Amino acid sequence: MPSWQDFQPFIVSGLALGGVYALSGVGIVVLYRATGVVYLAFGAVGAMGALIAWSLINHAHAPQWLAWIVCILFGALVTLAYGTVFGPALAKRPPLVKAVATLGLMLVLFGAMDLLWTTSGGASRALTLPTDNDTFMIGQVQVNYTQVIALALGIVIAAATGAFLRYTGLGTAMRAVANDREIAGTLGVPVRRVEAVAWFGCGVLAGAAGLLLADLVALDATTLTFLVISSLAAALIARLRSIAWTVVAALVVGLVHDLLTPIQSLTNYRDMTPFVLAALALLALSGRQVMSLSREEA
Amino acid sequence: MASLSGVAERARGGLRLRRPTGASVRHGIATVLALAVALAVLPQVLSLYYIDAMMQVAVYAIVALGLGVLVGRVGLYSLGQAAVLAIGAWVAARILFASSLPFPIVLLAAGAVTMVLGTLVGAPALRMRGLYLALITLMLAGAITVVLATTNFPNGGHGFLGYNGSLLHIPPIRRPAIATSDPAYFRYAVVVAALMFLLVLVHLRTRPGRAWAAIRQSEPAALAAGINVTLYKLWAFALASFITGVAGGVLAGAVHYLYSIDFQTQDSITLLAVVLMGGAYSAWGAIVAALLLELLPAILHNAGVSADWLTILFGVGVLGALTTAPAGIVDQFPKDMARLGRLLTRLARQLGRRRPALERGR
Repeated sequence: MPSWQDFQPFIVSGLALGGVYALSGVGIVVLYRATGVVYLAFGAVGAMGALIAWSLINHAHAPQWLAWIVCILFGALVTLAYGTVFGPALAKRPPLVKAVATLGLMLVLFGAMDLLWTTSGGASRALTLPTDNDTFMIGQVQVNYTQVIALALGIVIAAATGAFLRYTGLGTAMRAVANDREIAGTLGVPVRRVEAVAWFGCGVLAGAAGLLLADLVALDATTLTFLVISSLAAALIARLRSIAWTVVAALVVGLVHDLLTPIQSLTNYRDMTPFVLAALALLALSGRQVMSLSREEA
Repeated sequence: MASLSGVAERARGGLRLRRPTGASVRHGIATVLALAVALAVLPQVLSLYYIDAMMQVAVYAIVALGLGVLVGRVGLYSLGQAAVLAIGAWVAARILFASSLPFPIVLLAAGAVTMVLGTLVGAPALRMRGLYLALITLMLAGAITVVLATTNFPNGGHGFLGYNGSLLHIPPIRRPAIATSDPAYFRYAVVVAALMFLLVLVHLRTRPGRAWAAIRQSEPAALAAGINVTLYKLWAFALASFITGVAGGVLAGAVHYLYSIDFQTQDSITLLAVVLMGGAYSAWGAIVAALLLELLPAILHNAGVSADWLTILFGVGVLGALTTAPAGIVDQFPKDMARLGRLLTRLARQLGRRRPALERGR
């Protein structure tokens, strides 16, 4: 068993990872609550944004801030475009079909990324943020500002989103649409516009998460695309409803994942953390199945 | 209540003796022809490269059929079928290295073990429905991928896992004595696939098939009609796991060497994509799905086109299938052809009408 010393750095990195999972999880939950879509292309959009940013910096020699903005905007615009085209077309289908449709977008982006940024034989890419080099010490652990930003952004975004949904008119409209699209429309809520805002916001978070994960984990299309499953785990533990629980679950998933790293016998299995935690939580929380006549209540 | 009476009617309709209709006779003839071509013609005319690809098609047709039963017949979306296939392949490889049992017995054993595992995992997951079930199968597939990456596939080593990382000479996974060459093993795979299709069709024609149809229409109505919903859902899971496990065994023999890197989470997603594109409601859809998944990449690879274009195509295909053609290519293609035919005849007729007018004008 490794000593407490060995675990300390992983607490920091785990919390940072958890922060990004929280950021992504909140994006997924908000979009699901507003539109009923579980956005499985979340990771792919962020990954492609990050790769575009990498190309801008390394090939077009663009300033870094511009590349970051392009990354976030790319996420937002692709997500908004998908939502505008396929959102209304699939609005009346069960949540399952809506979720599977986003897999289509994910495959398109995934194929495009593999095509444009070939991995085989090429040197591995890296996207580093300048905050990586600014460090300070907590006890004996070195912490860099990217990690601080990741954790802080996760929590701040979650709090801001919660407040937005609760206190603003648009937030109220979003909750109304989430409750019942038809009735909200009848009462004069501009359903399409509200949904567009949700798609756009989710896309911004996807771009930001892609940027941070590219720095914290790796700039690799496959890794980043399927990291969405980990954030999804946090959202699932919160049953796709509670933003607060999403944040808590995301931090726990990130912490457990990184704290398993120094334990020799488990380190190879640490990537299972989100799956196992989500599966256990879902099975424990599902309780007695209540049957209703609606074909899909999810 | 409308859906309830619909279910009852459906159940009664299923009980009636089926008289062979024109459509079913046509299907029968098409099946016999397809089998004859696959068994007699293809191994003669195809190069080894394409025979290899067609072996994979036979394997994945079984997998796609299993997923088609889950998605199309019962309405259970599984995003983890590639992981189930990996389990089948693992079990088969382990038994093949450990014993000299005849190949068909090994296939059955691989199917049975996979069925037990699939059902054990599926039983608690079935408390969840719809979206949650799909997402939890995605999670489980991810978990299985991680485990396989660590344990690796058996390569003739000792111990329970049968993996030895320092083996210099890795023995190939054996094939049945009657089918050691590639064309012979391809025939073997086609026969196994045909048997699995038969097994599924028997299920669809009898009580479980009717129960699944009722469940897909409406779970509460099925329950009210006296159908044990949980039992039949588990049954569907068990059947799909069994045939996917058998397919895993066939795959193990086909490739000779198994590597965990070849089984990724995204395979499960691509699999669902092609099943939706091919058509989840028919057995032909499973074959189309397998051709899309395994033959098309082989053709493109031969032509020097990147397989990434296929991934993109599959993505577009999923979106297209879900928005415009819910029953897949198998259903949509004849309709589109018929529409094209009508359009052409109408054009021809218009042209025919115009020509005399033109001639008169002249």
